[in-house]
Amino acid sequence: MDFLNPVINGFVVVLEPTNLLYCLIGVVIGMLIGVLPGLGPAATIAILLPLTYNVEPVTAIIMLAGIFYGAQYGGTITSVLLRLPGEASSVVTVFDGYQMAKQGKAGTALGLAAIGSFIGGTAAIIGLTFLAPIVASFALDFGPPEYTALALLGILLVATISNGSKAKALIAAALGLLLATVGRDIFTGASRFTFGNLQLADGIDFVPIAMGLFGLGEILYNLEERHRAAKAPSKVTNVWPSRNDLKQASGAIGRGSVLGFFLGILPGGGATIASMASYAMEKKRAKQPERFGKGAPEGVAGPETANNAAATSSFIPLLTLGIPANATMALMFGALLIQGVTPGPQLVEQNPELFWGVVNSMYIGNILLLIMSLPLVGIFVKILRVRAAILAPVTALITLLGAYTINNSMFDVTLVVVFGIVGYLMKKFGFEPGPLVLAFVLGELLESSMRRSLLVFGGDPTGFFGRPISATLLVVFVLVAVLPVIRGAAAKRKASTPAVTAASEIKEKV
Amino acid sequence: MTHFPARRTVLGAASALTLLALTACGNVAGGPADSSKFPAGPVNLTVGQAAGGSTDLIARALAEGASKTLGKPIPVVNKPGANGALATKEVAGKPADGQELVLLTASLITITPLAVSADEAVNIDDLDILAGLSQDDYVLVASPGSGFKSFKDVTGAGRNVTFGTTGVGTGSQLAQKVLFKQANVTGTDVPFDSGKPALTAALGNQVELTTIQLGEAMPQITAGKVAPLLVFSEDRNTFLPDTPTAKEAGYDVPVAQYRAVAAPKGTPQDVKDKLLASFQDTFKTDTYKEFNKKNMLTPKEISGEEVVKEWKGYAAKYKELVEKYDISLSGTK
Repeated sequence: MDFLNPVINGFVVVLEPTNLLYCLIGVVIGMLIGVLPGLGPAATIAILLPLTYNVEPVTAIIMLAGIFYGAQYGGTITSVLLRLPGEASSVVTVFDGYQMAKQGKAGTALGLAAIGSFIGGTAAIIGLTFLAPIVASFALDFGPPEYTALALLGILLVATISNGSKAKALIAAALGLLLATVGRDIFTGASRFTFGNLQLADGIDFVPIAMGLFGLGEILYNLEERHRAAKAPSKVTNVWPSRNDLKQASGAIGRGSVLGFFLGILPGGGATIASMASYAMEKKRAKQPERFGKGAPEGVAGPETANNAAATSSFIPLLTLGIPANATMALMFGALLIQGVTPGPQLVEQNPELFWGVVNSMYIGNILLLIMSLPLVGIFVKILRVRAAILAPVTALITLLGAYTINNSMFDVTLVVVFGIVGYLMKKFGFEPGPLVLAFVLGELLESSMRRSLLVFGGDPTGFFGRPISATLLVVFVLVAVLPVIRGAAAKRKASTPAVTAASEIKEKV
Repeated sequence: MTHFPARRTVLGAASALTLLALTACGNVAGGPADSSKFPAGPVNLTVGQAAGGSTDLIARALAEGASKTLGKPIPVVNKPGANGALATKEVAGKPADGQELVLLTASLITITPLAVSADEAVNIDDLDILAGLSQDDYVLVASPGSGFKSFKDVTGAGRNVTFGTTGVGTGSQLAQKVLFKQANVTGTDVPFDSGKPALTAALGNQVELTTIQLGEAMPQITAGKVAPLLVFSEDRNTFLPDTPTAKEAGYDVPVAQYRAVAAPKGTPQDVKDKLLASFQDTFKTDTYKEFNKKNMLTPKEISGEEVVKEWKGYAAKYKELVEKYDISLSGTK
């Protein structure tokens, strides 16, 4: 049981008063912004990133992680009570959650969501606890070729799995890759796209890009939306679900945990996709699918469990491989880098306090959320009444101030403003900033790892297939890239016979 | 006998009052630089590297000590970018009143200009060097899988070796390129962003050799994970007494990282004297000495003039070596 020692030490780290406090602050902020539609966890983390600069790395990440999974809880509240999803990952909760609230079962819906979230989150943490050391044991086998394959796979998945238009996601990702090339080439010292500006010699910093695209861009975009007056929410009574409700939901919670866990690990996956997939699965499995959309408890419990499980498990690729699975994780990546910690396979071994401290803080955070979420529902609903005219300038100011403090540089502030405008325009034209930011992060890794590998291989690209880990990853890459094409072709062939007859029928009719 | 202590008290009180008055004046006078009133507020020490790195740690250790003598805080401001060129150029353009200092690394002056264009390089003549600080030695280490135990093994291997560097235009790259050229070893240069990833690549046998700073390599050397082959300093390093120098092995590659404090050109002499005195007080403290030891830094507390002379000498030497052996730090010649 030697490997459990660092796990236990991690609890010692979490239970330090400072860390507990920051964990509490994190989950409270997370819940608050979860309630507020528009401002998501990625934006909040981007805005608050500079505040973590002067605290210990463990403490900083504990707080930021708290914001992330706290937001998953908060989003549920408004979905159920006001039919207003605070987070993208709570959109499907609206369908049955609001119906339940209308039937006077708002308390039950929230209770189920909280319990499901807790179980989903906890299941994912346990998965993380056992999976991380296994990945870490391969730490030194991860060299440039392995990172090349991982980055390639990551970018492909990000561009193909993202929600929304695939073409737009690919365009955004390409832009991110392009931005990643700015700066002095680390192999030759030649300046690329710096326009003679020394400020750009090291490339564009990730943090101003994220703060601009997620923070300022979101704020600008939200200003456009007229603020709806918050309706009086349904009364919340009896938050403890009845035995019957629990029995109905328990299967959904179990399935949601597993589904969410795996979708969270996948690059490009995450809480939103997990919640949608879980809803679809519950509906498919149900004996009476017509109950869905009319207040089925499984329709709330499943997605809410899945989104929390996914939110937690998406830490796995980040903390063990240094590959962010989604935009929020890209921000965590940035936060760790600011703290001088490079996430990767060595993290568990070199920095066990940080790793286990963060992982174990999630247990505590989930308990805190469970305790707080139900009694505080009334207060959170009131926050919705804060007018955008007050909220927007305050958050914009915090963002710009924060941008300055990272490197004491006005240039970074300018960058935030520029990327804020870019982010606003992207949202306006239906581009998600997520793929851009992820491709930007992975692009640097991809380019340098690939060039390094080729140097080591003496310029022979087949070298990538001579190493077990990189070869396996590349095979997966090819499968992911080719499979949809094959499947599409197969579907076409199958469909072509009836299609031909249909076409001839039309012809006959004409 | 009885009024001896009393007199002392009066004296003490009087000097305390003068001091108080002086500092009070200093606070009020925020206007144009008057060197007699230096320091008129906090003295900023800019570092061109990120917080937490060795250069940053040195700056913080120095600032902590010197602020005690100076009686004003010395906040360390990190402005990473372009290997430190960004921060150095910025401080060089500030008013020469001693309120703005920069922690300078020698490689920026002596090696980086060999890899980047002239207008991106920093000229040491744009600054007043106040004092030299310490020497940080580079050590050549071999990965566990390479089987190299001494540099003789490398020269005798008779094959192409891969070596990691800490980046283009760094001492790590220059030292290895020159060494391998002199030793007739063909090698592939694999640049990493800094010392840590280069060391990790060596530990994981992705590269066979790498040259990094001693402080970074030491834990893995003592753990027996990597083998130290050579140090590049002119004399053996006291922290690694059993490892031969490149010079002993018959090669001419005197590469190390040096650090110094600098102020904008034209800083008044009396201001420089005050600053120098505060640094020299720091050098004498046990805390600072302990800091150097812990980070495997060899003190090199020489005067500003000596720093300029030495660094210019190294710059010329490296240029000559690079030209003589037809080495390009950019590209893979």
